[in-house]
Parts: sequence; structure tokens; C-alpha cells
Amino acid sequence: MEGSLSVLGAGLAFGIGAIGPAIGIGMIGAKTIESMARQPEMAGKLQATMFIALGMTEAIALLGFVLAFVLMGA
Amino acid sequence: MENMGHMVEELLHELSVLPLFSEHVGTFTLTNYTFFLLIAFTVTVVFFAVATRRISLVPKGIGNVVEAGVSFVRDGLCVDILGSENGRKYFPFIGTIFFFVLFNNLIGLVPGALPGTGTIGVTVTWGVIVFLVYNTIGIKKNGFFRYMKSFVPSGTPIFLMPLIFLLEIVSHFLRPITLGIRLYANMYAGHIMLGIFTILVAISLEHLSPGSAVTGGLAFAMRIVMHGFEVFVAVLQAYIFSILTTVYINGALHASEH
Repeated sequence: MEGSLSVLGAGLAFGIGAIGPAIGIGMIGAKTIESMARQPEMAGKLQATMFIALGMTEAIALLGFVLAFVLMGA
Repeated sequence: MENMGHMVEELLHELSVLPLFSEHVGTFTLTNYTFFLLIAFTVTVVFFAVATRRISLVPKGIGNVVEAGVSFVRDGLCVDILGSENGRKYFPFIGTIFFFVLFNNLIGLVPGALPGTGTIGVTVTWGVIVFLVYNTIGIKKNGFFRYMKSFVPSGTPIFLMPLIFLLEIVSHFLRPITLGIRLYANMYAGHIMLGIFTILVAISLEHLSPGSAVTGGLAFAMRIVMHGFEVFVAVLQAYIFSILTTVYINGALHASEH
């Protein structure tokens, strides 16, 4: 059972840290679909911008991922 | 159930970086990941050499695939974001990144193989390369002091300037790290997920009963569906890595305008 608390902390760090980015990614997707439905001719440009925004939002979740690994080692 | 713990441990051991041979030259050791990295390198070079050996106006066979891929990266990515002139200028760098990452990711999905991008050392190194390249482009284009000045948007109150400058520097130094970790985490986590489904199938086969046959069948179906999803992730991550590279280069090129 040694080190089980740090495993719990790692799980919580990633789990709670992923809530915000998850909401953000959902909003990005929803708004992109909304805009695409409104202006289908802009779909290509919107998609490229969507992936950029996705990448930046995902980065926040990844910080939690790294923190989880750091805590696992601790 | 204690069997599952062993299996998961074995899976994680298989996915960790292990030296292939006990001998090493200096500090260089061939690990399982660098082995597949070299394979992906060879496959990329050979694939493009073979596909472009006979270039004609109307491509035949494999040339079609390469032409579609190249024009997707060049027109859909570089030219779209950087503009026609700069897009063509920086396409060789961005295209190389895209296809090398793509081939690494896809080779990792061959059963028994590992993705060269599945270890953090490789991907963060590429992130650092991108960081050096886009900063060099920015400094060359704008000059060092104007490039540094562009970190602070014009119109910032003077007492906020040091803080904003510091924040921008931090965010720039986070870029190569997030670029690398995004790719590594997606590939590594994807392979763990595939492994977990395989373990579920193995466990339900071990104690075979009508109930476990159903769950095992479901896990097997999920295993196949997830493999398809991983192919999608492999392409998507290559795309995101190269589109972010393009955006960073674009920001460095137009640094003095905002």
C-alpha cells in the first residue's frame, strides 16, 4: 500500500484538471459546428482555426497529465 | 483478478523504453523506440523516393497518394496560413515534420511495433527544433530588438510591461514542451488503451463461460473499433503538430505588426 496516496493524488490531479479543458473542447466543437451550419462556405477555414484552438486547450489538460506523472514518482 | 494487475504491469513494461542490446557505443544505446524511429525514417525516405522516381503530370499508382498528401499540406496548411510566397518557402520544413510524424504514428499501429513518437524524449526534441526554427525566423525577419518588443502589445501601460513580457516569455518556452507532450501523450495513452482492451479479451478467455464470452466479444469488437480510432488520432496528431508549427512561424513572421 506504500505510495498509494501519491497514486490517488495523480489520478485526482489529472481528473480534476481535465474538467476545464473538456468543457472548453466541447464549446469549441459546438461553436464550430454552429458557424459551419451558418456559413458552410467558410467550413475549411473554420476547421483549421478549430484545430489550433483545440491544440491550445488540450495543452492545459496536458499540464495535468505531466503533473500526474510527477506525482506518481513522488 | 490479480492476474489483471500482472498483465497491466507487463503492458506498461512493454511500452517503456528498453535497450535492445546490452552493448552500447559511448552513451548511445539502441532502444526499442529508437529502433522503430529508424524504421519510420527509412520508410519515409524510401516511400517518397519510390513515389517520386518517375514524376509525370498525371501521377500513376502510389504517386497519387503522395500528390494528394503533399498538396494537402502545401495548399491546405502552408499557403492557407502563411500566404502563397511564405507558404511555399517554409513548406519543406512543415511537410517534412508532417510526414515524418505521420509515418511514425502509423507504424506504431502495426501489431507488435511501437510508435517512434511514443516516448517523450523524441517528441519534445522535435518541439525544441520547432521552437529554434520559428524564433530564428522571427529574429531574422524583424531583428532581435523588434522581435523582443513584439512580445509586449502596443498600448500596454508601462508598469505592466515587465509582467506581460515575462508571461509571454514563459508561454513561448512552454510551446515546445506542450507540442511534444501532446504528441507523446496521445500516442502513449492510445497504446495503453489498446493494450487494456486486449487484456480484457485475454481475461474473459481465461475463465470461459457464457457471460464472459459476451463481454470478451464486446471487448474484442471495441479493440478493433479503437484501432480504427487510433488511425484517426495518428493522422490528427500529425496535422495538429504541423498546423501549430505553421501558426508559430506565422506569428514570428508578423511579430512586428501587433
